Amino acid sequence: MSERELLELLERFHQHQVTSAERRALQERMAADPVFAQRVRETELFTGALQNHGRQQTLRDRLNRHHQAWQEENQKATPATVPVLRKRTPMQIFMRRYAATMGVAATVAIVTVFSSLLGMEMWRSATKQQTARYVELRREVDDLKRKQDALLNTNPVAPKTSALNPGQFSGTGFVLTSDGYFVTSYHVIEGADSLMIENKKGTRYKVEEIYSDQVRDLALLRVTDTAFTGFGKLPYSFKQKESELGERVFTLGYPREDVVFGEGTLSSRSGVYGDTASYQISIPLNPGNSGGPLLDDRGNMIGVISGKMLGVDGAAFAVKSAYLLTLLDQLPEHRLPKPIALPKVNNLAGNPRPQQLKKLQDFVYMVKVYN
Amino acid sequence: MISKALVTDAAIIEGILQDDDAALSRLYKLHFPMVLFFVQSNNGTDDDAKDIFQEAVIVFYEKIKAGQLELNCQIKTYLYSICRRLWLKRLSRSSRFSHGMIEDTESELAPQADGDAEQAEQNELKFEAMGNALAQLGEPCKTLLEDFYLRSMGMPEITEKFGYTNVDSAKNQKYKCLMRLKKLFFLDYQVPS
Repeated sequence: MSERELLELLERFHQHQVTSAERRALQERMAADPVFAQRVRETELFTGALQNHGRQQTLRDRLNRHHQAWQEENQKATPATVPVLRKRTPMQIFMRRYAATMGVAATVAIVTVFSSLLGMEMWRSATKQQTARYVELRREVDDLKRKQDALLNTNPVAPKTSALNPGQFSGTGFVLTSDGYFVTSYHVIEGADSLMIENKKGTRYKVEEIYSDQVRDLALLRVTDTAFTGFGKLPYSFKQKESELGERVFTLGYPREDVVFGEGTLSSRSGVYGDTASYQISIPLNPGNSGGPLLDDRGNMIGVISGKMLGVDGAAFAVKSAYLLTLLDQLPEHRLPKPIALPKVNNLAGNPRPQQLKKLQDFVYMVKVYN
Repeated sequence: MISKALVTDAAIIEGILQDDDAALSRLYKLHFPMVLFFVQSNNGTDDDAKDIFQEAVIVFYEKIKAGQLELNCQIKTYLYSICRRLWLKRLSRSSRFSHGMIEDTESELAPQADGDAEQAEQNELKFEAMGNALAQLGEPCKTLLEDFYLRSMGMPEITEKFGYTNVDSAKNQKYKCLMRLKKLFFLDYQVPS
């Protein structure tokens, strides 16, 4: 088919003057012959473009007229047509586009930095508190027990005392009255099933709890043993008034199996966190010292050892004797099997320290706690 | 606000369908400043803006006439998207597009804009090629074809106007011209693969 025939055919095609046979023939030939189909498509594109051309020409003319009209109107309205547009650098475009994102990112960064700083500060202060904290000085006996067992294994002839249950915790306590009242710290006997006291000579008594004051950390015990006949005459008396700063003080206690002497000075008249019910004392103390008596040079009982500050040098604490005495005063009579008759006479005053201790040590006991 | 814009859009489309010149004028006034601003913001001139906007409007106009327009956004967004695409292409062809970033002056883009921009570009190429071909064709072929195709004159009228002996020789002449024009046209215009 020549170019001309093709053009004629397509022209008639567009004017809907083709017979159905011709139409079918054309479609079949296009399907069978891709080169021919391409020619038909090109020719159609061409004729389409030619016919479009006129329409578009008029449309373009119209648009140009509108443009001119618009321009004239715009120029009239604003003499300086469009203000000379400021050329933006790529940096400025970048900033305009990402300013919001950067703002969010910066905010997140700031929040993260400050919260982590704050968190670290809080953590540090928390650990600092932990290093300087108050501990109660009751002793766990577990490790000791193991050592004793080891001793037992190496030495087949076991000493009689080592067969005894040493208890789970131990502390120190002292005699309050000769007829069987006894004082220790509350935290020593806390959660106890049964209590035993034992002194350096090996004298053992079974005791029971009469009254405890959790706040002042004091416990009043009484000997219930049938074999008990009395402690004997007490060598010390109890001081009503507060002691002075700098006074020399000492204590006896059982941080291990034997009695241990500790000496120092009264370094503050208030206890941990400003607690006015306690003294701060500079005596090296260890777990097991809790509940021991604190005495001054003249042999007056001035306090009950209660605990120390970990991480602070030489800061141990004792509950003031005045609080022990008020506690005893306030005790309801009916809770006591016998009225408490406190010793009035002090036999220790004026004696050298070794003499004092010799007299004293019979009245200081190790408190063994079973639970 | 949105409903008002939609009413305006519908009125413009209706006006174009009815060949109302006012609709076209309205379209121009409403949307040309936006495109002008966009092109000027991106290293363009007034004339660039005018060309681009007209290309976009032609596609828009012809799609409406052919009933092929699937508008699922505002006319403003549609035109902006097409113009943006066209301008990007032009920039990437010239060396003015140095920093690889275009500054958008509108936030929304129409999803079908890419295809329509492509169509606008082809349309422009065809139009130019046809214009060139017609200019090179020379007389009397040019007038003859224009009379027949553009001004829709009948063959008898043309026979008379050009002084041919009969309609057949006029037709003969027309086809000769047509074939020359076709050759010229395809010299200039490559069919997109």
